[in-house]
Amino acid sequence: MDLLKNITEATTEIFETMIMLDITVGDPLEENVSSFKCSVSGVIGLAGTCKGMLAVHAPDDVAKAITSSFLGMEVEEVNDDVTDAIGELSNMLAGNIKMVLDEAGKDVTLSIPSCIYGEEYSMDCVADAEWVVVPFTIDAGTFLVELQIKSA
Amino acid sequence: MDLDLQKQIIDSTQSVFDTMLMLPMTTGTALSEKVYNFKDSISGMLGFAGDIQGMLTIHCPQEVAFAITGALLGMEVDEVDEDVKDTIGEMANMVLGGIKEGFLEHGIQINLAVPTILAGRSYRVSGMDDATWTTVPFHLDEGQFLVELKLKDRKNR
Repeated sequence: MDLLKNITEATTEIFETMIMLDITVGDPLEENVSSFKCSVSGVIGLAGTCKGMLAVHAPDDVAKAITSSFLGMEVEEVNDDVTDAIGELSNMLAGNIKMVLDEAGKDVTLSIPSCIYGEEYSMDCVADAEWVVVPFTIDAGTFLVELQIKSA
Repeated sequence: MDLDLQKQIIDSTQSVFDTMLMLPMTTGTALSEKVYNFKDSISGMLGFAGDIQGMLTIHCPQEVAFAITGALLGMEVDEVDEDVKDTIGEMANMVLGGIKEGFLEHGIQINLAVPTILAGRSYRVSGMDDATWTTVPFHLDEGQFLVELKLKDRKNR
Protein backbone atom coordinates (compact mmCIF):
# COMPACT_ATOMS: atom_id res chain seq x y z
CA MET A 1 0.00 0.00 0.00
CA ASP A 2 1.57 3.26 -1.10
CA LEU A 3 0.08 5.61 1.48
CA LEU A 4 2.15 8.57 0.33
CA LYS A 5 0.93 8.29 -3.25
CA ASN A 6 -2.67 7.84 -2.10
CA ILE A 7 -2.60 10.90 0.14
CA THR A 8 -0.91 13.06 -2.46
CA GLU A 9 -3.39 12.10 -5.18
CA ALA A 10 -6.43 12.45 -2.94
CA THR A 11 -5.39 15.86 -1.61
CA THR A 12 -4.40 17.22 -5.02
CA GLU A 13 -7.66 16.07 -6.55
CA ILE A 14 -9.81 17.60 -3.82
CA PHE A 15 -7.96 20.92 -4.00
CA GLU A 16 -8.29 21.01 -7.78
CA THR A 17 -11.93 20.05 -7.99
CA MET A 18 -13.56 21.18 -4.74
CA ILE A 19 -11.47 23.83 -3.04
CA MET A 20 -10.00 25.47 -6.14
CA LEU A 21 -6.66 26.45 -4.67
CA ASP A 22 -3.21 25.76 -6.12
CA ILE A 23 -1.21 23.47 -3.88
CA THR A 24 2.37 22.27 -3.87
CA VAL A 25 3.27 18.89 -2.41
CA GLY A 26 6.25 18.69 -0.08
CA ASP A 27 8.38 15.74 1.00
CA PRO A 28 6.81 13.47 3.60
CA LEU A 29 8.00 14.22 7.13
CA GLU A 30 10.51 11.91 8.73
CA GLU A 31 9.19 12.59 12.18
CA ASN A 32 5.58 12.92 13.06
CA VAL A 33 4.40 16.27 14.37
CA SER A 34 2.11 16.20 17.36
CA SER A 35 2.18 19.75 18.78
CA PHE A 36 0.12 22.51 17.25
CA LYS A 37 -0.29 26.22 18.01
CA CYS A 38 -3.21 28.36 16.84
CA SER A 39 -4.28 25.63 14.48
CA VAL A 40 -7.31 23.70 13.32
CA SER A 41 -7.24 19.91 13.00
CA GLY A 42 -9.89 17.76 11.37
CA VAL A 43 -9.86 14.10 12.36
CA ILE A 44 -11.81 11.08 11.20
CA GLY A 45 -11.51 7.41 12.14
CA LEU A 46 -11.29 4.46 9.75
CA ALA A 47 -12.64 1.09 10.86
CA GLY A 48 -13.06 -2.33 9.29
CA THR A 49 -10.46 -4.78 7.97
CA CYS A 50 -8.01 -1.88 8.19
CA LYS A 51 -8.24 0.64 10.95
CA GLY A 52 -6.72 3.98 11.58
CA MET A 53 -7.25 7.70 11.38
CA LEU A 54 -6.83 10.53 8.97
CA ALA A 55 -6.11 14.06 10.14
CA VAL A 56 -5.63 17.45 8.51
CA HIS A 57 -3.64 19.99 10.53
CA ALA A 58 -3.82 23.61 9.37
CA PRO A 59 -2.55 26.79 11.04
CA ASP A 60 -5.44 29.26 11.55
CA ASP A 61 -4.51 31.38 8.50
CA VAL A 62 -4.35 28.35 6.23
CA ALA A 63 -7.62 26.98 7.61
CA LYS A 64 -9.29 30.34 6.93
CA ALA A 65 -7.90 30.49 3.37
CA ILE A 66 -9.14 26.95 2.63
CA THR A 67 -12.56 27.77 4.03
CA SER A 68 -12.80 31.07 2.12
CA SER A 69 -12.03 29.37 -1.15
CA PHE A 70 -14.23 26.35 -0.42
CA LEU A 71 -17.27 28.39 0.58
CA GLY A 72 -16.60 31.32 -1.75
CA MET A 73 -16.72 33.90 1.03
CA GLU A 74 -14.26 35.76 3.20
CA VAL A 75 -13.67 34.27 6.62
CA GLU A 76 -12.19 36.57 9.29
CA GLU A 77 -11.89 34.24 12.26
CA VAL A 78 -11.92 30.58 13.15
CA ASN A 79 -15.66 30.04 13.44
CA ASP A 80 -18.11 27.21 12.80
CA ASP A 81 -17.68 27.61 9.04
CA VAL A 82 -13.96 26.96 9.39
CA THR A 83 -14.29 23.96 11.70
CA ASP A 84 -17.01 22.49 9.46
CA ALA A 85 -14.85 23.02 6.36
CA ILE A 86 -11.75 21.41 7.87
CA GLY A 87 -13.86 18.54 9.26
CA GLU A 88 -15.41 18.11 5.83
CA LEU A 89 -11.97 18.20 4.20
CA SER A 90 -10.84 15.31 6.41
CA ASN A 91 -14.08 13.51 5.53
CA MET A 92 -13.51 13.94 1.78
CA LEU A 93 -9.88 12.85 2.02
CA ALA A 94 -10.80 9.79 4.06
CA GLY A 95 -13.57 8.98 1.57
CA ASN A 96 -11.01 9.04 -1.21
CA ILE A 97 -8.57 6.85 0.75
CA LYS A 98 -11.43 4.46 1.55
CA MET A 99 -12.10 3.96 -2.16
CA VAL A 100 -8.46 3.14 -2.79
CA LEU A 101 -8.39 0.68 0.11
CA ASP A 102 -11.65 -0.94 -1.00
CA GLU A 103 -10.23 -1.40 -4.49
CA ALA A 104 -7.23 -3.11 -2.88
CA GLY A 105 -9.61 -5.64 -1.32
CA LYS A 106 -9.98 -4.02 2.10
CA ASP A 107 -13.31 -3.18 3.61
CA VAL A 108 -13.15 0.17 5.37
CA THR A 109 -15.86 2.40 6.79
CA LEU A 110 -15.50 5.91 8.14
CA SER A 111 -16.49 7.35 11.50
CA ILE A 112 -17.79 10.90 11.72
CA PRO A 113 -15.29 13.75 11.52
CA SER A 114 -14.41 15.88 14.49
CA CYS A 115 -12.59 19.17 14.56
CA ILE A 116 -10.08 20.34 17.17
CA TYR A 117 -8.76 23.88 17.38
CA GLY A 118 -7.07 26.10 19.88
CA GLU A 119 -4.07 28.05 20.99
CA GLU A 120 -1.98 25.10 22.01
CA TYR A 121 -2.67 21.39 21.85
CA SER A 122 -1.08 18.10 20.99
CA MET A 123 -2.53 15.18 19.10
CA ASP A 124 -1.09 11.68 19.32
CA CYS A 125 -2.27 8.47 17.81
CA VAL A 126 -1.59 5.61 20.21
CA ALA A 127 -1.95 2.86 17.66
CA ASP A 128 1.19 1.05 16.69
CA ALA A 129 0.37 1.82 13.10
CA GLU A 130 1.98 2.59 9.78
CA TRP A 131 1.93 6.36 9.30
CA VAL A 132 2.70 9.02 6.78
CA VAL A 133 2.54 12.81 7.11
CA VAL A 134 2.67 14.96 4.00
CA PRO A 135 3.00 18.77 3.94
CA PHE A 136 1.10 20.75 1.32
CA THR A 137 1.63 24.44 0.69
CA ILE A 138 -0.86 27.05 -0.51
CA ASP A 139 -0.30 30.82 -0.67
CA ALA A 140 -1.44 31.23 2.94
CA GLY A 141 1.01 28.66 4.27
CA THR A 142 1.56 24.96 4.84
CA PHE A 143 -0.80 22.33 6.21
CA LEU A 144 -0.27 18.65 6.98
CA VAL A 145 -2.23 15.57 6.03
CA GLU A 146 -1.61 12.62 8.34
CA LEU A 147 -2.70 9.04 7.78
CA GLN A 148 -2.25 6.26 10.32
CA ILE A 149 -3.34 2.80 9.38
CA LYS A 150 -2.96 -0.79 10.48
CA SER A 151 -4.52 -4.12 9.66
CA ALA A 152 -7.27 -5.01 12.12
CA MET B 1 -34.08 3.47 18.02
CA ASP B 2 -34.89 2.14 21.47
CA LEU B 3 -31.27 2.43 22.48
CA ASP B 4 -30.67 4.29 25.73
CA LEU B 5 -27.35 5.97 24.97
CA GLN B 6 -26.96 7.44 28.43
CA LYS B 7 -27.38 4.00 29.98
CA GLN B 8 -24.90 2.49 27.53
CA ILE B 9 -22.30 5.11 28.48
CA ILE B 10 -22.89 4.75 32.21
CA ASP B 11 -22.92 0.93 32.26
CA SER B 12 -19.74 0.67 30.25
CA THR B 13 -17.83 3.42 32.08
CA GLN B 14 -18.90 2.04 35.48
CA SER B 15 -17.77 -1.42 34.49
CA VAL B 16 -14.34 -0.18 33.37
CA PHE B 17 -13.89 1.67 36.65
CA ASP B 18 -15.08 -1.27 38.76
CA THR B 19 -12.96 -3.89 37.08
CA MET B 20 -9.85 -2.05 35.92
CA LEU B 21 -9.34 1.02 38.05
CA MET B 22 -10.95 0.30 41.42
CA LEU B 23 -11.57 4.01 41.88
CA PRO B 24 -14.71 5.27 43.59
CA MET B 25 -16.79 7.17 41.08
CA THR B 26 -20.23 8.72 40.96
CA THR B 27 -22.32 9.25 37.89
CA GLY B 28 -24.04 12.49 36.98
CA THR B 29 -26.95 13.01 34.63
CA ALA B 30 -26.50 13.62 30.94
CA LEU B 31 -25.72 17.24 30.09
CA SER B 32 -28.28 19.17 28.10
CA GLU B 33 -25.65 21.41 26.49
CA LYS B 34 -22.67 20.51 24.40
CA VAL B 35 -19.28 21.23 25.91
CA TYR B 36 -16.66 22.50 23.47
CA ASN B 37 -14.01 24.21 25.54
CA PHE B 38 -11.23 22.44 27.40
CA LYS B 39 -8.38 23.87 29.44
CA ASP B 40 -5.39 21.94 30.79
CA SER B 41 -7.13 18.76 29.75
CA ILE B 42 -6.64 15.48 27.96
CA SER B 43 -9.17 13.98 25.60
CA GLY B 44 -9.18 10.45 24.20
CA MET B 45 -11.11 10.20 20.92
CA LEU B 46 -12.10 7.00 19.18
CA GLY B 47 -14.14 6.79 16.00
CA PHE B 48 -16.34 3.89 14.98
CA ALA B 49 -18.31 2.80 11.94
CA GLY B 50 -20.58 -0.01 10.84
CA ASP B 51 -24.35 -0.07 11.30
CA ILE B 52 -23.95 3.35 12.85
CA GLN B 53 -21.13 5.84 12.59
CA GLY B 54 -19.90 7.98 15.39
CA MET B 55 -17.20 9.00 17.82
CA LEU B 56 -16.60 8.46 21.51
CA THR B 57 -14.55 11.03 23.41
CA ILE B 58 -13.45 11.08 27.03
CA HIS B 59 -12.51 14.55 28.28
CA CYS B 60 -10.45 14.70 31.49
CA PRO B 61 -8.95 17.64 33.35
CA GLN B 62 -5.27 16.89 33.99
CA GLU B 63 -5.74 16.03 37.67
CA VAL B 64 -8.41 13.48 36.80
CA ALA B 65 -6.23 11.98 34.07
CA PHE B 66 -3.35 11.70 36.59
CA ALA B 67 -5.62 9.94 39.11
CA ILE B 68 -6.90 7.47 36.51
CA THR B 69 -3.40 6.76 35.21
CA GLY B 70 -2.05 6.39 38.75
CA ALA B 71 -4.80 3.93 39.62
CA LEU B 72 -4.34 1.89 36.45
CA LEU B 73 -0.55 1.71 36.61
CA GLY B 74 -0.16 1.76 40.38
CA MET B 75 2.20 4.74 40.46
CA GLU B 76 2.23 8.47 41.07
CA VAL B 77 1.83 10.60 37.97
CA ASP B 78 2.18 14.38 37.84
CA GLU B 79 2.82 15.32 34.23
CA VAL B 80 1.19 14.65 30.88
CA ASP B 81 3.52 11.98 29.56
CA GLU B 82 3.21 8.91 27.35
CA ASP B 83 1.74 6.89 30.25
CA VAL B 84 -1.09 9.35 30.71
CA LYS B 85 -1.82 9.59 26.99
CA ASP B 86 -1.75 5.81 26.57
CA THR B 87 -4.05 5.38 29.56
CA ILE B 88 -6.67 7.86 28.36
CA GLY B 89 -6.53 6.32 24.87
CA GLU B 90 -6.95 2.87 26.39
CA MET B 91 -9.88 4.15 28.51
CA ALA B 92 -11.62 5.28 25.32
CA ASN B 93 -10.93 1.83 23.85
CA MET B 94 -12.33 0.02 26.89
CA VAL B 95 -15.41 2.20 27.31
CA LEU B 96 -16.27 2.01 23.61
CA GLY B 97 -15.56 -1.74 23.71
CA GLY B 98 -18.26 -2.06 26.37
CA ILE B 99 -20.66 0.08 24.37
CA LYS B 100 -19.96 -2.05 21.32
CA GLU B 101 -21.11 -5.12 23.29
CA GLY B 102 -24.18 -3.23 24.43
CA PHE B 103 -25.00 -2.22 20.85
CA LEU B 104 -24.56 -5.82 19.71
CA GLU B 105 -27.28 -6.92 22.15
CA HIS B 106 -29.55 -4.59 20.17
CA GLY B 107 -28.41 -6.09 16.88
CA ILE B 108 -26.20 -3.11 15.99
CA GLN B 109 -22.69 -3.92 14.87
CA ILE B 110 -19.83 -1.44 14.93
CA ASN B 111 -16.08 -1.57 14.29
CA LEU B 112 -13.63 0.64 16.16
CA ALA B 113 -10.95 2.88 14.67
CA VAL B 114 -7.76 3.71 16.61
CA PRO B 115 -7.67 6.16 19.53
CA THR B 116 -6.31 9.68 19.15
CA ILE B 117 -5.23 11.66 22.19
CA LEU B 118 -5.58 15.42 22.48
CA ALA B 119 -3.86 17.34 25.22
CA GLY B 120 -3.15 20.96 25.85
CA ARG B 121 -3.52 24.19 27.68
CA SER B 122 -6.49 25.36 25.68
CA TYR B 123 -8.39 23.67 22.87
CA ARG B 124 -11.88 23.28 21.55
CA VAL B 125 -13.49 20.22 20.03
CA SER B 126 -16.40 20.65 17.70
CA GLY B 127 -18.31 18.01 15.86
CA MET B 128 -20.59 18.05 12.92
CA ASP B 129 -23.89 19.39 14.12
CA ASP B 130 -25.95 16.82 12.27
CA ALA B 131 -24.95 14.31 14.92
CA THR B 132 -26.71 13.25 18.10
CA TRP B 133 -24.64 14.08 21.18
CA THR B 134 -24.93 12.38 24.55
CA THR B 135 -22.53 13.62 27.23
CA VAL B 136 -22.42 12.12 30.71
CA PRO B 137 -20.32 13.58 33.55
CA PHE B 138 -18.63 11.32 36.11
CA HIS B 139 -17.07 12.45 39.37
CA LEU B 140 -13.91 11.33 41.12
CA ASP B 141 -12.35 12.93 44.21
CA GLU B 142 -10.03 14.82 41.85
CA GLY B 143 -12.79 16.26 39.73
CA GLN B 144 -15.19 15.59 36.91
CA PHE B 145 -14.63 13.98 33.54
CA LEU B 146 -16.99 13.69 30.58
CA VAL B 147 -17.80 10.77 28.34
CA GLU B 148 -19.31 11.99 25.09
CA LEU B 149 -20.90 9.81 22.42
CA LYS B 150 -21.71 11.34 19.05
CA LEU B 151 -23.78 9.37 16.56
CA LYS B 152 -24.52 10.28 13.00
CA ASP B 153 -28.25 10.59 12.48
CA ARG B 154 -29.51 7.70 10.45
CA LYS B 155 -31.65 8.84 7.61
CA ASN B 156 -33.11 5.46 6.73
CA ARG B 157 -34.78 4.70 10.02
